[in-house]
Amino acid sequence: MKMKKYICALAAGALFSISAPTKVDAQEKFFRAIGTPHQPKVEVAWNRYYTYEGLNEVMRKIADAHPDLARMESIGKSHEGRDIYLLTISDFKTGDPDRKPAMYIDGNIHSNEIQGAEFSLYTAWYLTEMFDDLDFIKELLQDKTFYIAPTINPDARNNYMLEANTAHSPRSGMIMLDSDGDGEVGEDGFDDLNEDGHITMMIRKSPTGRYIKDQRDPRKLIMVSAEEKGEYEMLGYEGIDRDGDGQVNEDGVGYYDPNRDWGWNWQPDYVQRGAYKYPFSLPENRAVMEFVMDHPNIAGAQSYHNYGGMILRGPGAEEDKDTYNREDVRIYDAIAKKGEEIIPGYRYLVVYKDMYSVFGGELDWFYGGRGVYTYSNELMTSYLYFHKNAGRGNQDEEMDVDRYLTFGDAFVNWEEYDHPQFGKIEIGGFKKNFGRAHPGFLLEQDAHRNMAFTIYHAYHTPKLSVMDVKEKDLGRGMKEVTATIYNERMMPTHSSQDLKYNIERPDYITISGPEVIAGMVVENEDFNKVEEQVNNPERIAVKNIPGMEAVKVRWIVSGGRKYSIDVDSAKGGKASWSSDQK
Amino acid sequence: MNKLQSLIEKSNMKLKLISALGLGAVLGLGNPAWSQDDYSSLSQLNSRLQSVAKSGSAELQTLTKTEGGKDIWVLRLGKGDHRNKPAIAVTGGVEGYHLLGVELAVQFAENIIQENESVLDNTTFYIFPNMSPDAYEQYFSSVKYERRGNAAKIDHDRDGQIGEDHFDDLNRDGMITMMRVESPMGDHKISSEHEQLMVKADRSKGERGTHLYLTEGIDNDKDGQFNEDPEQGIAFNKNLTYKFPAFEPLAGDIPVSQPETRALLDFLFERNNIFAFVTFGPANNLSSPMSYNAGDAKKRVVTSMLEKDVELNKMISSIYKESTSLEAYQQDNKGTAGDFFQWAYFHFGRLSFSTPGWWIPEMKKDGNGNYQSKEANFMAWAEEEGLDDVFVDWNEVDHPDFPGQKVEVGGVKPFVMYNPPMGMVPEIASEHTEFIIKLAEIQPSLEFHNLKTEKLNNGLTRITVDLYNNSPLPTHSEMGAKSRWFQKIRIDSNKEKEDLVSGDKIKLIDSLGAFEKKTLSYIVKGSGSFEVKAGAPHTGIATLEVKL
Repeated sequence: MKMKKYICALAAGALFSISAPTKVDAQEKFFRAIGTPHQPKVEVAWNRYYTYEGLNEVMRKIADAHPDLARMESIGKSHEGRDIYLLTISDFKTGDPDRKPAMYIDGNIHSNEIQGAEFSLYTAWYLTEMFDDLDFIKELLQDKTFYIAPTINPDARNNYMLEANTAHSPRSGMIMLDSDGDGEVGEDGFDDLNEDGHITMMIRKSPTGRYIKDQRDPRKLIMVSAEEKGEYEMLGYEGIDRDGDGQVNEDGVGYYDPNRDWGWNWQPDYVQRGAYKYPFSLPENRAVMEFVMDHPNIAGAQSYHNYGGMILRGPGAEEDKDTYNREDVRIYDAIAKKGEEIIPGYRYLVVYKDMYSVFGGELDWFYGGRGVYTYSNELMTSYLYFHKNAGRGNQDEEMDVDRYLTFGDAFVNWEEYDHPQFGKIEIGGFKKNFGRAHPGFLLEQDAHRNMAFTIYHAYHTPKLSVMDVKEKDLGRGMKEVTATIYNERMMPTHSSQDLKYNIERPDYITISGPEVIAGMVVENEDFNKVEEQVNNPERIAVKNIPGMEAVKVRWIVSGGRKYSIDVDSAKGGKASWSSDQK
Repeated sequence: MNKLQSLIEKSNMKLKLISALGLGAVLGLGNPAWSQDDYSSLSQLNSRLQSVAKSGSAELQTLTKTEGGKDIWVLRLGKGDHRNKPAIAVTGGVEGYHLLGVELAVQFAENIIQENESVLDNTTFYIFPNMSPDAYEQYFSSVKYERRGNAAKIDHDRDGQIGEDHFDDLNRDGMITMMRVESPMGDHKISSEHEQLMVKADRSKGERGTHLYLTEGIDNDKDGQFNEDPEQGIAFNKNLTYKFPAFEPLAGDIPVSQPETRALLDFLFERNNIFAFVTFGPANNLSSPMSYNAGDAKKRVVTSMLEKDVELNKMISSIYKESTSLEAYQQDNKGTAGDFFQWAYFHFGRLSFSTPGWWIPEMKKDGNGNYQSKEANFMAWAEEEGLDDVFVDWNEVDHPDFPGQKVEVGGVKPFVMYNPPMGMVPEIASEHTEFIIKLAEIQPSLEFHNLKTEKLNNGLTRITVDLYNNSPLPTHSEMGAKSRWFQKIRIDSNKEKEDLVSGDKIKLIDSLGAFEKKTLSYIVKGSGSFEVKAGAPHTGIATLEVKL
């Protein structure tokens, strides 16, 4: 057995000789660190970011290196015609991955919130590389499927990375809209005046300015007190008035918000700023929606955003607070509280209460519209810098980070510039890839921890088994067969939201072999309380199989000594039992 | 002779005339509306639309095909720079059983092209004659029923099986009506207003029911419910975003899920010249306007028409009542969840008007009171009009779900309560055409007035002018002013910034009220001509030229 593994490793080594060292080399040069794939078939640097093309290359490598565990497909096209790629990760040798309980993960819906793509990709990489090493991961992929779409906003991901932007732009996708209502689209966006790929700030010396540069750190602009005279005025982000309307940067890429486009209690732009035309009017979200509708086995979902260190659940909108009922909140709480332990610095919060009240979010559609337990994580928290809670965008702390940890890499120093409209100005400020995005040295750890949270979530999607089958002879060739179907995990096959609207079909428990005279759900075995199903009694439909609980069904049958029982649940997967295995 | 008979007479005369003309009607030379004695089939509609589209002022385009393979047409009527003229969207067939709405939309188009083409000098029309062609076809099928859903395969009762409990034509008369089952457990009884009709027993008053009262059919899937999962898909008028009734039968899982819904909305979002919608459908805010509810209007999710827009609705409603002759009666449908008419206002920000076009007029009982039930009112009307083909008499059938019980099938025939006999339609159509033309006549209209030019020293000229909205309608409804999908009024001057001592090269105004003016003032350097352009596609563009 050991020998066989060794040969496999050698063979793989030969195939990937450029990227992977041979076993012999590894023994000489490397020593295994716990928790990380030691000799991955696919070498990936997890301390940098990948463009759309870069992501695709890693995905392709994973799928090629693990044909029995990973499959890559396009689920649709973006506005600019890029394929939106998704990896299906599961043990393909143990059943159809589309019939196993599944976890859906995506990243980067907001194009400037980039690291969700790397975190998603890390998950695919880790699962495939650890499959042979860890029993837990092997079993997980035998039972479950992960659908992973690293970026669902590929156009604007590349725009963020390859074109000049702030840390907050584009955020939307690349559809150009008339943001200022003048009848023209995208006619006055940012201008990278100093051509450094970052849109930073413009300041100008002015006798009426209210700012001065900090004497101890001249990068820092501070406001003077009410009685003091300042030296600089703020002119906003780098740009010029391109269309001559007296405004700068008032109509750039977008603007709309892809996370206001989802079809649960959707509201138009005047109610919910950022909404597009109608739910799923954005092609990228439509692709995801169609994939989800085609994959009713998705029982859990995760979307990655940044930033602030949060594990968020819905409701997004206060108006929806009755949608999330107590039974489902109990499960949300159990998973997310574990998440808080797994990811230090992250807090479990409810969107409408703890952030803002918002309609049309992805997590609300997954839960409200499909009954899928879903979280959005706001990746990156300043806690990771110095293990202090200085809060989002604390300028003093960020200056310290750039002085003591990144040594000036995060800041564009102020430099003079001749502006065609403002005259002599200075341009400078934090780079777009600082603040929201992790610095490289923090990336891998946080990716791993967030992945661990999604693994915990995926682990607790339902797992069904036929726990027990009892027979009782009723005489005259008839017998009573009672089967107990157990759900070994925390999540039910149907969330309460699902049950409220019958979103997903019932679970079916079917007996085959004998002639079925009657079929029933056993509500209380001790006192023989049963509910008969008159139509089609071979296939008993149960509304739900709750987490960590069992349901019992019973048939009165005659003839046929051999028989089998099959459980078929959209979100709970399949299980079966046969009288042969007794 | 009552009104209906006179109309039929008139229509017959016209028929004869056309016959005399021989091939004239076939070639589309006559007025085809008069040549009909029944509602047009889809293929007849298509050829009527194509014949309108022969005009140079019309363009017929298919937006998409439905699940059932039917075209969704848009007919644009307009001249010249029609994309920059204020436009009205006229929509029919928002409900598949409402054939009249389709007919009214098509006759409107025919009328404009044949008799009122000059309206197009100032106004553009986008006509969507039939948004429910899959369902519309049911009227022409071997089993007729009032259908709403398209041809998509939908599990309406959400039990995991699709279309497993459809209607069944038990008495084989080619239509789905009602069935009544004699049973002390029933909650219906024979109406005291009309011996053929059933009414719900008022159990709160101690009344007993004598019959179960159900739609005609069998409990095919033996779940105790009748016809709860019919073989039809999504209803257009239940699939839009405003108050979308998620997971209800005929609505589906998500709004705007169907090809025809998406194609229509995608088209509308590209037509920023539309200022108003006229929809022929079950809702009615024309015979009586919407009312204002401050509480609902001020919530984040707005569910009352806004205050100023209610005033506009009142004004338009009075114009409607001047144009049309039928008095409002039981017109209490002010919109239903997921419908199109409310979407156009609440989610698209346009003025939105809806009318069924026709309804059963108010009838009086002998004792002078009103009928309690709409069906009884209908029967009285039908009798007065001499219509004897509106009811299926109760007849006993064998029913597998009710062995040993007396089951009868009968009731008011489908379609007749919503679609008048064709003989009545031309007059209804001409009244509604008149209304839409009046609506077009009061569209927002920007004009320049009171131009003043003053020479200042050193080659400077001061120009003052009023931009005036010469219309009883504002350029933006109160709701429209909130919408990002409505352009602002943009005022451009042709002079470069350097030559504008005062005044903006580009200026945006959120809206101009009814008969409101905005004074513009410029100080311009140099000579030549100074031009100002003001407007938005839905207000039209006003231009001004001054020689300096």
